[in-house]
Amino acid sequence: MMNEFLMISFYGTAIALILIGLYATLAKKNLLKIVIGLSIADSGLNLLFMAIGYVKDGTAPIFSAEVVGKNVVMVDPVPQALVLTAIVIGFAVTAVALSLVMRLYRHHNTAAIDEIKNLKW
Amino acid sequence: MVISPVQYIAIPLIAAFLIPLFGKLNKELVRIIPGLVLLYLSYISVVLMNQVISQNTMIVEIIAGWRPPWGINLVFSPFSGFLASLFSMLGFIIWMYTYNFKREVEDAQTEKFYVLMMMLITGTIGIVLTGDIFNMFVFLEITAISAYSLTAFYRERDGAEAAFKYLLVGSFASFFILLAIVLLYSQVGTLNMADIAQKMPDVNPYMKGVILMLFFVGFGIEAEMFPLNGWAPDVYTQAPGPIGAIFAGMVVKAGIYGLVRVIFTLFDVHEIFPLLMIMGVITMAVSEVIALRQGKLKRMLAYSSIGQMGLVLVAFGIGTHEAVFAAIFLMFNHAVIKSLLFLSGTYLVYHSKEKNISDLDGIGKSLPFTSFLFALGSLAIVGLPPFAGFWSKLYILMAAADVRLIAVIAIILAVSVVEIVYYFRVLHRIYFRERISTIEIKIPSFNAKISMLILAIVIIVIGVYPDLISGLIERAATDLLDKQHYIQSVLSVGLH
Repeated sequence: MMNEFLMISFYGTAIALILIGLYATLAKKNLLKIVIGLSIADSGLNLLFMAIGYVKDGTAPIFSAEVVGKNVVMVDPVPQALVLTAIVIGFAVTAVALSLVMRLYRHHNTAAIDEIKNLKW
Repeated sequence: MVISPVQYIAIPLIAAFLIPLFGKLNKELVRIIPGLVLLYLSYISVVLMNQVISQNTMIVEIIAGWRPPWGINLVFSPFSGFLASLFSMLGFIIWMYTYNFKREVEDAQTEKFYVLMMMLITGTIGIVLTGDIFNMFVFLEITAISAYSLTAFYRERDGAEAAFKYLLVGSFASFFILLAIVLLYSQVGTLNMADIAQKMPDVNPYMKGVILMLFFVGFGIEAEMFPLNGWAPDVYTQAPGPIGAIFAGMVVKAGIYGLVRVIFTLFDVHEIFPLLMIMGVITMAVSEVIALRQGKLKRMLAYSSIGQMGLVLVAFGIGTHEAVFAAIFLMFNHAVIKSLLFLSGTYLVYHSKEKNISDLDGIGKSLPFTSFLFALGSLAIVGLPPFAGFWSKLYILMAAADVRLIAVIAIILAVSVVEIVYYFRVLHRIYFRERISTIEIKIPSFNAKISMLILAIVIIVIGVYPDLISGLIERAATDLLDKQHYIQSVLSVGLH
């Protein structure tokens, strides 16, 4: 019962985060808010991946003296490793995005996306 | 040193991060090191390609001692190896072109330029060589991040705006691809591409469709598929000229590779082929018509590039062996020819502020060599004999004729006429107008001339003797279509 509730809230939060992030990216006009939206969507995706790797009643996937030789259920370690990578990548993309926002702001003196249109959008 | 595919990734990546350090020793090393690295990669390409072709195998490299399907592995198959070799050699030629990049203006930017360029090339080579779907995503991101930064390289242009647009669209692409990988992992429980391909028949067909569509959209953005290609023209216009050549020659090709590897090897779903073909036809028709209306040279080249990618998608969408052969041939031709056009075009509009085609009036007399190469590239890309572009277009038309796709043939021919019109309009201005503009002319440096000449010679030689390369492409096409061989080769590695 508790477990099911946990799973539903995991998936629910993940999907909610993804939707909030995508909404912010598509609907907001402020460059910073767009970058924040991308970041939120990324976090949602990472959480979704963690939820998929969860095994009922599993413990941390570490081979220590307490678990060796015993019949212990562990969660899937692969998504955790991948999410770690994905977080780093997301960090790098956000850093590049923010530096671009800064340069755009200095150049145009505004962060509103519809006022920056030297190029056709 | 033992030659192995892992050097394709390890050496340029290490070199990229050591470049600033070498710069402390000697400013000239910053320019020389990338060239040495790319020359070495071209050398190992020749050795490995020779080995793969002569022994009729594929080289599967296990990384860190974990054999597939547990660890990450690199697959140097005829198809991925062909592309990796193409990227290394093209990279070397483009490096030669950039050797004197910004030398007279400023030196501080050179380091950044070469670090990012090496990362970009590493990323594209990684995408084609890796045998692990998540690893492919990582390389895609390496490519993307360096591509965003290079687009914003010039502060005085609108590079940051183009880069932000690219970043926004590119982030959507990687979001979709990562979501697809997550869902795929939840279904098959593995990330190894050969293992995924093997377990794919057990996946629920509904889920399969969803995942394939996510991949299709994600890689479609990278491969400039309509209507997901809004980023491309601005990026090509704003990025430095040689980087435009790398985008057209490598980054987009890597996107196409991801798309077809997923469709042909991982999913092997034939229902998607008509969709691929329709998207290709739309991409081609729309972008070539838009190209006709462009007043700026690089925007025109960018739309022409999108159009060619559409033609590649059409050929892959036909799906027969002949069509796949023609598609890979076109990928090769387009990489070489469009690079030549971007490299020579950059010099034609070097000092022009607006980069307008109308600034080219009569430039053929002032810049005879560069104009001649640009003209040669234009004739080649529209598919006139005896240049390389002719053969790929002919093979695509023949492949379409084999399966009685008369409408597709008609559209390809109609679009070719449009292509001829807008390229010849530029040539007309270059050669048959009087020069009235007072814009200064930039004479290409010696190394740039050599690099463009090499590309031109390749175009002519392949045009006259297509058999020089058709054997390799034939094997590449067989490799892409033979899913079982790929699965067996990868999964049997290290089984003793």
